Order: sequence, then C-alpha cells, then structure tokens
Amino acid sequence: MSYTVALAGNPNCGKTTLFNELTGSKQHVGNWPGVTVDKKEGAYKKNKEINVLDLPGTYSLSPYSAEEIIARDYIVKEKPDAVINIVDGASIERNLYLTVQVLETGIPTVIAMNMMDEVESRGDSIDCEKLSKIFGVPVVPIVARVGKGLEELMKVTGQVAAEKQKPNEIRIYEQNIEEAVEEIMDFLTEGSKDDRRWTAVKLLEGDEIILESLQPEQAKMVQEIVEKLDSQCQGDAEAAIADQRYRYIVQTVGEAVKKAHKGHAETGSSKLDKIMTNRVLALPIFALVMYLLFAATFSENFLFIPGLPSPGVWLAGIVETAWGALTGLVEGGLTAIGASDWALGLALSCMDGVGAVVGFLPLVLVLFLLLSFLEDSGYMARVAFVMDRIFRHFGLSGRSFIPLLMGFGCSVPALMASRTLENDKDRKITMMITPFMSCGAKLPIYMMFAVTMFADGNKTTIVFGIYMIGLLVAVLSAFLLGKIIKGNGVSNFIMELPSYRVPTLKSVLIHAWEKVKGFAVKAGTIIFGSTVLIWLLSNFNFGGMCDMEDSFLASIGNAIKVIFIPLGFADWRASVGIVTGWIAKENIVATFGQLFGGVSDEVVEAVSAGEQALPAITSVFTPAAAWAYMAFNLLCMPCFAAVGAIKREMGSWKWTLRTIGYQMVTAYVVAFIIYHLFGLFY
Amino acid sequence: MALAMVTIGETRTITELRVKEEMKKHLQDLGFNVGERVRVVGENPSGLILLLNGARIALNRGLATKISVA
Repeated sequence: MSYTVALAGNPNCGKTTLFNELTGSKQHVGNWPGVTVDKKEGAYKKNKEINVLDLPGTYSLSPYSAEEIIARDYIVKEKPDAVINIVDGASIERNLYLTVQVLETGIPTVIAMNMMDEVESRGDSIDCEKLSKIFGVPVVPIVARVGKGLEELMKVTGQVAAEKQKPNEIRIYEQNIEEAVEEIMDFLTEGSKDDRRWTAVKLLEGDEIILESLQPEQAKMVQEIVEKLDSQCQGDAEAAIADQRYRYIVQTVGEAVKKAHKGHAETGSSKLDKIMTNRVLALPIFALVMYLLFAATFSENFLFIPGLPSPGVWLAGIVETAWGALTGLVEGGLTAIGASDWALGLALSCMDGVGAVVGFLPLVLVLFLLLSFLEDSGYMARVAFVMDRIFRHFGLSGRSFIPLLMGFGCSVPALMASRTLENDKDRKITMMITPFMSCGAKLPIYMMFAVTMFADGNKTTIVFGIYMIGLLVAVLSAFLLGKIIKGNGVSNFIMELPSYRVPTLKSVLIHAWEKVKGFAVKAGTIIFGSTVLIWLLSNFNFGGMCDMEDSFLASIGNAIKVIFIPLGFADWRASVGIVTGWIAKENIVATFGQLFGGVSDEVVEAVSAGEQALPAITSVFTPAAAWAYMAFNLLCMPCFAAVGAIKREMGSWKWTLRTIGYQMVTAYVVAFIIYHLFGLFY
Repeated sequence: MALAMVTIGETRTITELRVKEEMKKHLQDLGFNVGERVRVVGENPSGLILLLNGARIALNRGLATKISVA
C-alpha cells in the first residue's frame, strides 16, 4: 500500500528543509519567506511507499494568495492520505493558526514540532503529549535542520495514513457562529460532513472562491446568513472567526507550553538587527558585503593585496590548466590513432567551445556559494527592508531587491523569486529588469574581453563597470516603466524577518551545487551541441567543406551584421555570437573560441597566464566596440531558459513579448550610446 | 495612538487595524490581531521592526500609522 503525505506549514518553519531531509532530493533551501512556490514531490528515502509532497508555505488557508489556494485546494480536493503540519515551535502561536485550519478540514494529520533545539535553548518547553491529546493527532518533536526525530515522525505518519486517523472535531466557535455553520451545512449537498463543515466555515469567512462555486440560489441564502452573522459580530464575522481561533490557540498554548521568561526576550537576532538595519551603518555594511561577494568571485588582487587571486580566480586557473592538459591528451590520442583532419578539427573545436565554458565554472561556483550563504543566513530579508526606502524612489518595493540580487547568479530562479511580490505592477517591472542584473553566465564574456582587449587595465574594474552599467540601466528602467505601465504602484512594505541562522554547510553546498550543476549540464549538452552545430556551419557550405569565410555561418552572420553597424561591431562572427548567446549566454565565449580560435591549448594557457586569450578579437573590435558588445549582450533578450521563466511568471505572451522588446531596444540604444561615447576617449 | 508613534523598546496592545480588507487579512495572518501585544524593537529610514508572537516583522511607517495601539 502506498501513501501520499503532504507537508503543510508557515513560510520559514523549516518545511523545505524537512522535505529535503525526507526525500534526499536536493531542493533549494532558503530563508526568504515563501521560497516554496511549486508543488514538489519525492519518495521518502527510507520507505519508498510514502510519497511526500511539499505544499507552498502559507500562514492560513484563506484564498488571498496563490500559495494559499494551492495548499488548500490540495488538502481539501485531492485529499492526501495524511498531512504533516510543520510547526515552528519557536513561534508556536502564529504557526498554530494554520494548524487549526488544517485540523478543521478533518484530514488525518500529524504535527511535526520543529526547531525544538531553539525552543530548548531559550529555556522554553512544549508538552507535545498534551498538545496531542487536545488536537487528537500525534505531535512529534523534531529538529529538521539536523534530521532529528524524522524516523519517528514518518513511522507515526505511516500509521495515521494507514488507519485514516482523524483529528478531534474542533468546536471553538461561539454559539451564534456554530448555528450559522449548521444552517449553511444543511443545504450544502456535496461532500462528507467534514467537507461541508469546512465549506460552511469558509463561507462565513467571506470566501469568494467557494461562494462563486455555489448555485445562485444557494449563494443567495449563504449571503443572507453571513449578513445576519455580520450584524451579530459588530459587522465582521470573518474577524470574529479569526479572533476565536486565536483565542483557542492562546488557551492551548497556555496549557501546553512553558515559557522561561514572560514577554519578549532580547535574542541574538535583535542584537544583530541593531547593527545590520542601523540607520547609519546599514548601507555601508551592505556595500561591504557586495564588494566581498564580487571580489571573492573575480578579483585578481583580492582584499586589495596585489597578486593575491580570489578563491574564484584561483580555482579557475587550476581548472583551465587541467582542461588544457586534457585537450593535449585528446589531440595526442587522435593523432596517434591517425584520425582524419576534419575529425581532429571537430574534436579540438568542441574542446575549445566546451572548455571556454568549463574554465569559468569555478567563478560561477564561488558566486553561487556566496549568494546561497546570504540567502540562507536571513540577511537578504534585512537588505530588502533597508533598501525599501531607496527603491521607493524608483517606484519599486524593497522586496524587489531579492530577485534582483539573485539575478547576479542566474535569472531563472531570480524571475521565479519575483512571485513573492504582491503588487502586480511591481512584479512586472521587477521581471523586466531582472535580466539587466548580469548573471553568472555573462561573466565569461566580460572576462574574455577583459583578458584579451584590456590586458593592461584592471580587469576587476572592467567587469565591475559592466555590472554598474546593468544596475544603472535597471534603475532608470524601473523609473521609466513605472511611468508607462498602468496600475497602482507599491503601497506598503511588510515582511517577516527570519531569525539569523548560520547556514549549515550542507544546505549551502546543496543550494549552490543545484545551480552549478545546471551550468555543468549545459556545458555538456546544449553548449556541446551548439559547438558541433557551429563547427559544421562554419566549416561547410553547399559545396562541401570550405574556408570559414565562405561557410554557411558566415553567410548568416553577414546577412544580419548590418544591424550592428551603428554599434561598432558589424562582424559576422560577433553577430553569430549574439544569436548563440540566446541559447545560453556562455555560448558566446564558446562561439568566439571556435570562430576566433587558434590552437586550443595555447588559448587555455594564455588565459591562465592572464594574457590575450583570443588575439584575433582585437582585429575586429575596437575597445569602444568591445564595451558596446558587452553591454548589448548584457541587456538584450536573456537566454531561452530565462525567456521561458518570464513567460511562466508573466502568464501571458503579450507581456513576455513586451519584455523582450523592451530589452532589445534598451540594449541597442545603450550599446549605441556607449560605442559613440567611449569612441571619444579610446 | 498609532503604532508608528510608539518609542523603541515599548510594548503596546493592538486595538484596531484600519486597513483595507485584503491587507487586514494579511496582517492577521502574520499575527496582528486586536488584543495582541506588540513591541517595537528597531527602526530605520525604511520603517519599524516589531516583535510579535516571537516573530520579527518589518513594516513601513505608513502601514504602522494605520495600526492603532494602546
């Protein structure tokens, strides 16, 4: 017999961590409220018969957000065999609000009392047995972060699911509400008694989704009952129901929870927040954090110590040397077995193309590790709050800050994170400008140009300059789009600040690996595939094998290059690069590696030594054109994966096309300005 | 008085949420209920940081002016 078990709980209660621990799946673990926005499933790793489903984190089962609707529809309509309700023991009152609503559905439930270590370290205690008696469901203490109590939890859950063990009926409402509930239940025809009771309570709470699903005459009767109850409850039945739930919770907590100190303790988080959100220090601290983030990734004079490579640059050097050796082996091997010239050419071309991307993986890895650390630590939420006042000047909320910051890693998860923005206009603008935050895949493009064209200058300055251009364009765009796009702008900012946590090494590694894996897989699949395709297109024409200048690819590039004359890079190879960049941005480097490439290991060695990687580029690009080219690729349509994410999140082709259109025009205009402006100096 | 006016370190009791229905629901979900004790633990140019039921919540002053406390 196999069972489906759904995980339900508040945002930040440790639900995603629990899901990962149970299924062994490497899902994103974050500290940002509402990190779980999709349904995620996986088999329990110690008993494959239990299928675990991760519901979005919600504070209640009201129909006021997409997350809440997903969670409640699943519980009420799909009816899993059991629900594991994760409760953050450290803020038990608020978490139990969802618990009470889950219990009201009558679904077999197990409560996982999480963060028991934090509860104990505060000197508090929670009497799980007593809670279990009150609710009529098992209450299992756990510490999801370290995997404590999970076997017991799953054993109990298996029993509850098998025996379809229902919770106690919760009768917590006052007489007049209970009467109204029964009145409504009387003429509801569908579903079990539990379902009808739940539906009736929701209707009294003014649930419009359920109201609309009723027959017109039923709806009319319900409205009459609600109006009658409203007048009995000082005009607000919904608030009365919420109040009575809270009253019940406070009473229950009073019986089962002992707090070491009355009132609110000054926790470690309070002290840290005094510094991190301090009116004077907050911004300098944030600037320092950002500097460290980028310097650790690609500085050659890390911490201003001349010649000290950052962890990212140091690792990249090692990987590049190793790849160079591997390429040498492949070449030697193929020559030894007497491979034909074209086979050798194809193989080396692929090694070049893929190697160009592999060489930058360490930089991406370091960037992601640090971003993951920031996300998991709880600092991101503080930054969102601190930035709120500043973002307001550009018509955005501080909440937009998190997707934008994540955009420095990869646009796809960043675009998905924009879901947590409540305001529609705010969300649209954020999505339109997120790709302007230069993602990890674009970094190799700048490094290639920095190493080749600006070898004398400070590479960090060049890369940083491009990031700044992206930021500046994003800010101006937010301002401009705010004036153009209809709808009400952001009004209020309210957000939970999760406790600061030192992220576990495991969580940060999993988190970063998930993302880097994407890059590695891309290097092996999409990029490998397109290097083969580009090799074919650049070595053949209708007459068979030919010089690159006469190839299919040259014809294609030559046809589109006229567009780029005003931007200073009217070269067929540059044009082809832009197109391959839409498949994946790091593809541009792979393409350049092939089209401008010399002998592969020389190129790799040159990059490791910090010398001109692709000297041939200098014959095509002037420095001003190189800047324009970098800016164009930064700002133009993101890769197809990101476009897919935009389509999913915007939910409309119209807005997706508007977004792409806006980005294309912006890229063209900015590259044009840069080319002509920089042309004055270089 | 409005929550926005409370001095840092003080604890007050929520008496009224003077906001639109949707925001009210959202506030209630976060634990802002009439009768609840709330403490202002920090402030900065963006707004206030509150301690409510053991959770830390940041909100802008505009919103804080619409929450009445006593």
